[in-house]
Amino acid sequence: MKKFWDFVIENRSLFLAFVFLGVFLVLSVLVPGFFTLYNLTNMTQYGVELGLLAFAETMVIISGGGGIDLSVGSMMSLVAIVIGVLIGRVGIPPLLAIPVGLMCGASMGLVNGMLVSRIKILPLIVTLAGLYVYRSLALIVAVDPQFGPNPMPVSNFPESFYFVGQYRIGGIPFQVLCIYLPVLILLHFILTRTGYGRKLYGVGSNEKAALFSGINVKNIRLSVYIMSGILSGLASWIITSRIASARPDIGTGFELQAITIAVLGGVSIQGGEGTVLGVVLATFIITMLNNGLQLAGIHQIWQLGALGVVLIGSTLLNQFLIKRRKL
Amino acid sequence: MIHWETIVKRREFSVLILIGALVVVFSIFTERFLSINNISNLLLQTAGIVTASIGMTMVIITAGIDVSVGSTMGMACAVSGLALTAGLPALLVFIVAIAVGLIIGLFNGALIAYGEIPPIIVTLGTMNLVRALMYQVLGGRWISGIPPTIRFIGLGKMLGIPISTWIAGFLIIAFTYFLNMRPLGRYIYAVGNNQEAARISGINLKTTLVFVYALTGALVGFAGLIYVARTGIVQTNTGMGFELDVIAAVVLGGTSILGGRGTVVGSLLGALLVGIIKNGMILLNVPALSEGLVIGVLIIVSVLLDLLRSKR
Repeated sequence: MKKFWDFVIENRSLFLAFVFLGVFLVLSVLVPGFFTLYNLTNMTQYGVELGLLAFAETMVIISGGGGIDLSVGSMMSLVAIVIGVLIGRVGIPPLLAIPVGLMCGASMGLVNGMLVSRIKILPLIVTLAGLYVYRSLALIVAVDPQFGPNPMPVSNFPESFYFVGQYRIGGIPFQVLCIYLPVLILLHFILTRTGYGRKLYGVGSNEKAALFSGINVKNIRLSVYIMSGILSGLASWIITSRIASARPDIGTGFELQAITIAVLGGVSIQGGEGTVLGVVLATFIITMLNNGLQLAGIHQIWQLGALGVVLIGSTLLNQFLIKRRKL
Repeated sequence: MIHWETIVKRREFSVLILIGALVVVFSIFTERFLSINNISNLLLQTAGIVTASIGMTMVIITAGIDVSVGSTMGMACAVSGLALTAGLPALLVFIVAIAVGLIIGLFNGALIAYGEIPPIIVTLGTMNLVRALMYQVLGGRWISGIPPTIRFIGLGKMLGIPISTWIAGFLIIAFTYFLNMRPLGRYIYAVGNNQEAARISGINLKTTLVFVYALTGALVGFAGLIYVARTGIVQTNTGMGFELDVIAAVVLGGTSILGGRGTVVGSLLGALLVGIIKNGMILLNVPALSEGLVIGVLIIVSVLLDLLRSKR
């Protein structure tokens, strides 16, 4: 029996799977309306945006060197408003505007990545500055001169734009099946089966060794920030489609939630460690918790409060168990 | 003897030059910038950030970070606001505000030092948790109509300078002395430079860390009191984003995120720089929307200048 628990502790994903089951059972028993097919499928669509941002943080944090991306929320806001303005105000068809939005996300990631990898400014500083700059740009772009100097949300989208965020295929939300799952599989494949993935872990766990073994540390670091920008763009596209409105402050606060989920999922803040599976489980746990609290009629600020408790509690428990095992 | 070369090379010096340049530009282009009224307004607005940045400087010197200061400040505001409207005397509320911050700081510090959890994770957690608790304390309502007993801290003046500025100034001097002259102050740098070496040389790592976070909490609690005294209003979102302003001020002031390096005077200058930019932009009628753009670019530029200089 002791061996079994040691194994669970050792294996973060298994540990999270137990937490997941526990939370699932508790909510099913305590919260009426939680354990219904409608709610369970419906719930998944709320987790997609956060899940994609958590993937972004996962890649960036694994790359090490103090890697963190505080700007994902602001990148999300700017992409949302760019897509919104292009479709709603300029009148460009969504099929054209969305790639432009994603490119916009990628270029913000490129700027972050260049500053981190080429000029060697610490990620915390680069992305903190990015948080300010992109948020500010989102507000500026959102200004509609027709209605005075204030930023305005855009919500006159054509019906076709709502497809990604509001439609279902066989009862499963479109964005879960056609965006989240493919991204998940792709990232898992990249991290576990490709040379790039191995290099990424190498760069994260020991930069010097990676450098000496001929890995292009700069390009690896650059690439994760670009990926983070693209994933933020994807999340932004989905959320604007889901809530049918592009707001310049849509991503505010998302960065911290995304980091929380990545860390809960077992991504080591020191870099070089973490799996897609763990982050997916963490996303499930948090999404489920949010949903359960909402159904129970608890104010939504407690969704964040619970996030804080889960983050500290799980890390503390993990530390405690690891220590006990060492004795 | 004054070593000019070392002074010129310091980060504080370049921030000072930048502040000087901005003051000149703003006073040329706006008439009101150099008025007594505006300057005292500016000082009033930055007093809270300066107070909190003292703690954050020490936290970052130990190679840590505290993103919970915004929530902590909000909580201190909420509790002291409630205490004031309930009719508690000002002196007691003063203690209560600091105690609230101290408790949250102790909680952070204990988890970081004894739980051995990375600071960014602990404070991310408490940031969210404290914000939710604050909502509970406020019951989702606003507090307004703060009695005038406390407002002298926010609005009162001595020799034409706001009281809160005097206090912030005093704290800067006190902590400059503390960090440079007291053993515990030096330990903070030692811990940030090399944790293992600090531990081996007999510094109590855990106590030092708990101290730094607890102190930050207490200072932030005080910053909350200044905020309540100045504005007279507490909302559920009071203090949101405060952590970013404080971190920006500290980073601009030259404290290294890697730990071991930084001064509270630098953070004071960083806070003033941010304050002057915000203030000047309002006077110049630049839309407030581009404020973040300017601050963000400034952070990058100032770090770039540092890098260029150190390479030369």
